[in-house]
Amino acid sequence: MALLEVKDLEIAVAAGGALLPVVRGVSFSVDENETLGIVGESGCGKSLTSLAIMGLLEGSQLRLTGGSISFDGRELNSLSPNERRAIMGDQMAMIFQEPMTSLNPVYRIGDQIVETIRQHRDMSKRQASDRAVELLDLVRIPEPARRIDSFPHQMSGGQRQRVMIAMALACDPKLLIADEPTTALDVTVQKEVLDLMADLQTRMGTAIVLISHDLGVIAETCDKVAVMYRGKIVEAASAAALFANISHPYTRGLLNSIPVVDHDVEWLEAIPGRVPTIDETLPGCAFHPRCSMAEIRCSAEDPAPHDVATGHTVRCHFAGKGTV
Amino acid sequence: MNMLRTFLAMFRGRKLATIGLIWLCIVGLAAIAAPLIAPFDPLEIDPVERLSEPGLPYLFGTDHFGRDSFSRAIYGARMAVIIGLGSVIVALVTGGLVGMLSAYFTRLGHVLMRGIDVLMAFPALLLALVLMTLLERSVTNTIIVIGIVYATTTARILFGMTLKLKGETFVDAAICSGAGHGSILFRHILPNLISPLLVQASFIFAFAQLQAAALDFLGLGLPPEVPSWGNMLSEERIYVTRAPWLLIFPGALIILSVFSMNLVGDAMRDSIDPRFKDDIAGV
Repeated sequence: MALLEVKDLEIAVAAGGALLPVVRGVSFSVDENETLGIVGESGCGKSLTSLAIMGLLEGSQLRLTGGSISFDGRELNSLSPNERRAIMGDQMAMIFQEPMTSLNPVYRIGDQIVETIRQHRDMSKRQASDRAVELLDLVRIPEPARRIDSFPHQMSGGQRQRVMIAMALACDPKLLIADEPTTALDVTVQKEVLDLMADLQTRMGTAIVLISHDLGVIAETCDKVAVMYRGKIVEAASAAALFANISHPYTRGLLNSIPVVDHDVEWLEAIPGRVPTIDETLPGCAFHPRCSMAEIRCSAEDPAPHDVATGHTVRCHFAGKGTV
Repeated sequence: MNMLRTFLAMFRGRKLATIGLIWLCIVGLAAIAAPLIAPFDPLEIDPVERLSEPGLPYLFGTDHFGRDSFSRAIYGARMAVIIGLGSVIVALVTGGLVGMLSAYFTRLGHVLMRGIDVLMAFPALLLALVLMTLLERSVTNTIIVIGIVYATTTARILFGMTLKLKGETFVDAAICSGAGHGSILFRHILPNLISPLLVQASFIFAFAQLQAAALDFLGLGLPPEVPSWGNMLSEERIYVTRAPWLLIFPGALIILSVFSMNLVGDAMRDSIDPRFKDDIAGV
């Protein structure tokens, strides 16, 4: 039994009385000590998937229309709000994309960490505060005992993201969801934050779901990869298998649009076009208008998931038939 | 101490606002120390001395019952502060709660905010008059009525701001850390609303004075025996030609105080919300 198991997840957005599907039948699982990378362009549903896991869809235009999310053997959607709150922040935690806005500007960072701890642990303020210092030290904030009295605006983006990580780790969660944790940071800080997360994983055995649009980041940090396009996982495999044998033209496109430092390239190959908007109905494979390999069949028939190797699933008519 | 310094820094380079602040301090002092400052009992009737001119010992003269106008004005300051503070508390607590809850719980908001819309359709004074006629004349009721009138605007403002804050990532982060609704509303969202609430409070305080004076003048506010600036105007209005000072002094007090509060409110809003700075530069 995997720690987190998402099965046939369906999310739709309510627009003008109709429900438009945005996430269509996404399934994946993550084990302890494992990092799953979810990659894709903006608008392909990867963040929504993470929000659904954390139960943050409530109160918005978004609806969970199907599928199951089981965590540690419990079906999350059948839990009462109180039971769910008890898990969130304790056994599962989330890191957000914008470190600039994910800390409350009016609280000292120490107080924010202390509050998270005391939400779940029976600790005195003093104990929780000591624990906060420990956590800040763990995420390598210099002079943690002094920094717990800082306000978020007194810290840099990288430091705030570390504070967010410290907060997420406050109760030793079994699962950490990181939604583009490094996108808003510059490259050197990006590396430090990713290293930090990897380091903490080896120490605590946390399962991580890392969401990114950067295949480079994914390649460096993840054990398993799921590539999403327009609400579906189009290719999923272990990181090693995926990068050894890229089998979906979209994954290839994503990889080709990354500059390679030691090659002298004149042009980067961007994927032409854009992700179709949710209200466009598109018969056949959702990627066919942008795909260089597309044939008539692609615009008529939606490819079923196809195993090109054990544990390497691809949704493409050409999967396993020559290179992409 | 630190907060006091930040507060005083708002008035640097603003002469008029500083004068306003000083005037409000004087009014505040008079309100607190009314029994010490007032030379006579504000309720003591002395028919022999009725309608005497300003001078000694009656600084502001006496009214048609022979009561000392100066003492009544000092106790009137006390009433002004009580009405102001009371209305601010009622308005901010009820309006704030309605606004925040409406924004946070969307369905409840549909109902509550429509109610607020209905109340806002009435002109402020008319709404106060209607409510006042339903209730008995008393200090508490006046505070409640004025508070409700200004709760509507407070609710509107906080509704918008809470809606905006609710979408902030730190609220999502709080939900992810397992915080409940109460904790999110009052520990994560409310502290971010303190500065707009303070600005709102300063304006409600000022408008409450006008509203209270208007109600008193129309004979629907405080009971007639209560010394308030509005009641002084109301009772002595028929003597405007024989003893104009009976209206000039309380009238001037109301104008000065409201004007000062608006200046102080502007200064606070400018330093908290820089978008308005250019509109009223130099004030």
